[in-house]
Amino acid sequence: MNVEIAGLTRRFGRNQAVAGVDLQAGPGVFGLLGPNGAGKTSLLRMMATVLPPSSGKVRLLDRDPGAYGPRREIRRRLGYLPQNLGYYPSFTVVEFIEYFALLKEMPATRVPAAVAAAVERVDLGDKARAKLRTLSGGMLRRVGIAQAIVNEPDLLLLDEPTAGLDPEQRVAFRALLRELAERATVVVSTHLVEDVGAACAEVALMNQGKIVFRGTPDQLTARGEGHGVGDAPLERGYSAVLTEARS
Amino acid sequence: MTAAGLQKPGPRAEAARPRRLLDLAGLRLVRLHLASRRVPGALAALALCGLVLRAALYWHWSLSSGNGAQSLALVMEAGAASVIAVAAQSPFGDPERATGRWLPYLRLGSAVGLTAAAFGALAAGAAAEHLPGGTLDILRNMAGLTGIGLLLAAVTGGALAWAGPMMYMIVAQFALIGDWPSPWMWPARPPHDLGGALCAGLVFAAGIVVATVRGARAFREV
Amino acid sequence: MTVAEAPVRPRAPRAGHPSPMSVWRLLWLELRRNAMPWMFPLLAALFVFDPYRTAMSYPPLWDLRASVVVNKLLPDFVAFVAGVAAWMGSRDSRRHTADLVTATARPRWAAWLVTWAATAIWAVILYLCGVAVIYGVTATQATWGHPLWWPVAVGCAELAVISALGFAAGTFFPGRFTAPLAAVAAFFLSLEGFDNAVGRSSVYALLSPTTSVPGDDIGVFYHYVPDLAIAQLMFLTGLTVALLGVLGLARGAEGGLRLRRAAVVLTVAGVAAAGTAVGLVGTAREGKASVTIPALHDAANDRLIAFTPVCRPAGGVPVCVHPAYRAYLSQVKAAFTLVLREISGLPGAPARITEVGDVGLSTTPGTISGPPTELSFGMPPTVGSFGQTKSGFAGSLQVALVTAFIPGDGAASGKPGGSGSAGSGPPPGAVPPAVQARQAVQEGLLKTVGFRLPAQPPQLYAYGWPGALPTPQVHAAAERFAALPAATRRAWLAAHLAALRAGHITLAQLP
Repeated sequence: MNVEIAGLTRRFGRNQAVAGVDLQAGPGVFGLLGPNGAGKTSLLRMMATVLPPSSGKVRLLDRDPGAYGPRREIRRRLGYLPQNLGYYPSFTVVEFIEYFALLKEMPATRVPAAVAAAVERVDLGDKARAKLRTLSGGMLRRVGIAQAIVNEPDLLLLDEPTAGLDPEQRVAFRALLRELAERATVVVSTHLVEDVGAACAEVALMNQGKIVFRGTPDQLTARGEGHGVGDAPLERGYSAVLTEARS
Repeated sequence: MTAAGLQKPGPRAEAARPRRLLDLAGLRLVRLHLASRRVPGALAALALCGLVLRAALYWHWSLSSGNGAQSLALVMEAGAASVIAVAAQSPFGDPERATGRWLPYLRLGSAVGLTAAAFGALAAGAAAEHLPGGTLDILRNMAGLTGIGLLLAAVTGGALAWAGPMMYMIVAQFALIGDWPSPWMWPARPPHDLGGALCAGLVFAAGIVVATVRGARAFREV
Repeated sequence: MTVAEAPVRPRAPRAGHPSPMSVWRLLWLELRRNAMPWMFPLLAALFVFDPYRTAMSYPPLWDLRASVVVNKLLPDFVAFVAGVAAWMGSRDSRRHTADLVTATARPRWAAWLVTWAATAIWAVILYLCGVAVIYGVTATQATWGHPLWWPVAVGCAELAVISALGFAAGTFFPGRFTAPLAAVAAFFLSLEGFDNAVGRSSVYALLSPTTSVPGDDIGVFYHYVPDLAIAQLMFLTGLTVALLGVLGLARGAEGGLRLRRAAVVLTVAGVAAAGTAVGLVGTAREGKASVTIPALHDAANDRLIAFTPVCRPAGGVPVCVHPAYRAYLSQVKAAFTLVLREISGLPGAPARITEVGDVGLSTTPGTISGPPTELSFGMPPTVGSFGQTKSGFAGSLQVALVTAFIPGDGAASGKPGGSGSAGSGPPPGAVPPAVQARQAVQEGLLKTVGFRLPAQPPQLYAYGWPGALPTPQVHAAAERFAALPAATRRAWLAAHLAALRAGHITLAQLP
């Protein structure tokens, strides 16, 4: 198991963002669904070791991120794409990815090839030398994905990765996820249920800081039969589970 | 449930528009605009400039006599002008520009208001202490330096606009020492000098006009 | 090739310990995208306007040109360096990259240090470009000496600490107003620091980098004594190291125990170095021509620099200057010639005139010693430097000769005219009649060669006038003396010089 979480909570003042989450995930794509404010981003940030939990146990890649040494080792093997991607406008695509490759302590000799491969994988080869401030929103998102995968992580955390991508790019992205998931744990937090259905082997649905559903996309779909609101089966399952959780 | 079962939304409520700035919504718009420019932080920074000036004059730091006092006041004026120039930066960019007609007025109000606040803070700092040139000097210098900062903000964005008032201030330090006669070096001119006041006023007016019409450039290189 | 067609990549080997090459690569990225180069146009304009113009107005002496590097170039730069450093320090907060950077293996402190290093390197590069221009032009003009590098090193160290301060401010207070406030604070500190160093007597004011301005005649008559510069380097470097260590202790620095320990060690080491420098400066004392610190002093630097003067005769009297002032020899000769015409052949008139370093003159701008009688004088500020005019230059030299030929009351009157600074005059009090008579003859002689003594004390003592302020009676007597026919004046001097010098002549006894 690359991810083992037990009783994880996170509080911001009086707001309980994550209220006792248990989760285990091995290699494969794991989807995280939920409405706004459900706690997905907070959970992902804790898994990315940028936010300490208020309580609970976390083990990532067989290490406890509470101590600095293991946390550093986790980060060498981690890829993280936050929901709001910050960037340095004057950096070029290649420079930005290289910067984070170096911060992830990749061996310097491997970095150029890894950066080139990451740029190709997100189909930004013709924009490699372009400055980030000249890129569209979707391209910036792909740059963010590229910096997350440049070190071929064993644990890849993606928060709203397809925001701004056109349908063709989303299809390509899902294929990339499947490829990465052959040996890594990929956790994808998204609002787009079709991304979950197409790419994820397993999905969890969060509401008000708790996981209210855990299973396969088919199981989620089944929950929506005869119930729920939505145009697609997965949407109906999503809304059915939420309605049940809220009642 | 299908889409047909969804309730149609009611007639869309007309969003309240500020017909006059004195409306409650108008006041709210002003408050939000000032918050977006971090005006409360700017006011705190301006107050700090005034406090430092006061401390230096009160405790007779080595700069605080004759030309030295004017030098010090000029540094604080440049600091205040730099703060105003940086405050002109919009965090929104295009979405804000593509709105209605109130934005230029809001920009005008915040720039003029901050300049007035800067003058007030520095005048309060120099009050009851002997500053050659007095408050007239402060007013003229503040106006000119603010104009420089706003003009540079239109070119380089608010991020680096502080460099304009700083550079002018450094040059003006020499003008003070050397008693330069040029009215474009208004800090070196006597407080009632018409030429200096005109030049400072022109620069201020130019800066205000540019800031009102165009605002600070969205310079994203740094 | 689309993603679907891309081959499955073999698993890459794990990342090992970070290599130095990756640090260099990070530094290279930061150097390429740093904000400091954006300041170049402004700094270039400021450089031409202030330090370059000022330097070129000074004679081509390495000590004077080095003084510009310290007194002008550095203060002009510090505000911009501090502001940009603060801007770079707040980058992660402004660009919302804090999470991205935190989620990497390299400690955030390391990323900060690289960003700071790039900012500091750019600041030093721009500063050294200015130094290169000033020193380069000087090298083509100077006829003596070599560049002084210690003041340049102190300047680099000051830029390092200013950039560290600004960067720390931006990191801890990442608001949009931090950069301008940091710029103002840096300039204010440099302005206030300089005034403290010049205006206040505390020995610790010597820690201010602006006091590493080389003294008069350094590199000309006297060796540069690096004691103070070494202490300042130690102080500034210690401060820089301590600041960078404090960054490592910040909450967001993200480092394990080893890194925290390293940060503590750095902070302590930096504070210790700065504290040692403070202690050393506390033992500083005025040396012959420079401040010395006993623990750092090399006695070899106390020797005078050997040189062969360049000379030209002025009416049979050789006038000799240091080779560094070769270009001014004709002006010096012309100034002295006018006075020599009045006094040559009279008792005590110099048979030789030689330039010496200021220190050799004690309190007067000129001294006559011998036999054989020789006038030793200090070179006043040359034409164009410190606002010096042609008549002022000549006048200073003539004052030196006249006041040495007829010594005044001998009261200390501040620095001689060779330093370019206004003296302060002797304490107030009644001037004895004999002294007034000497002053009247001195002023009268100066009037005959076309030089009018200024009435205001600051200007008067700037010419090296060694005595009390002349009274209106002295001025009137001087007018009468100058109005005498040349032969009458000369005859009176021949008959009464000894009595005048001995103090036996009063104003009323003057013709």
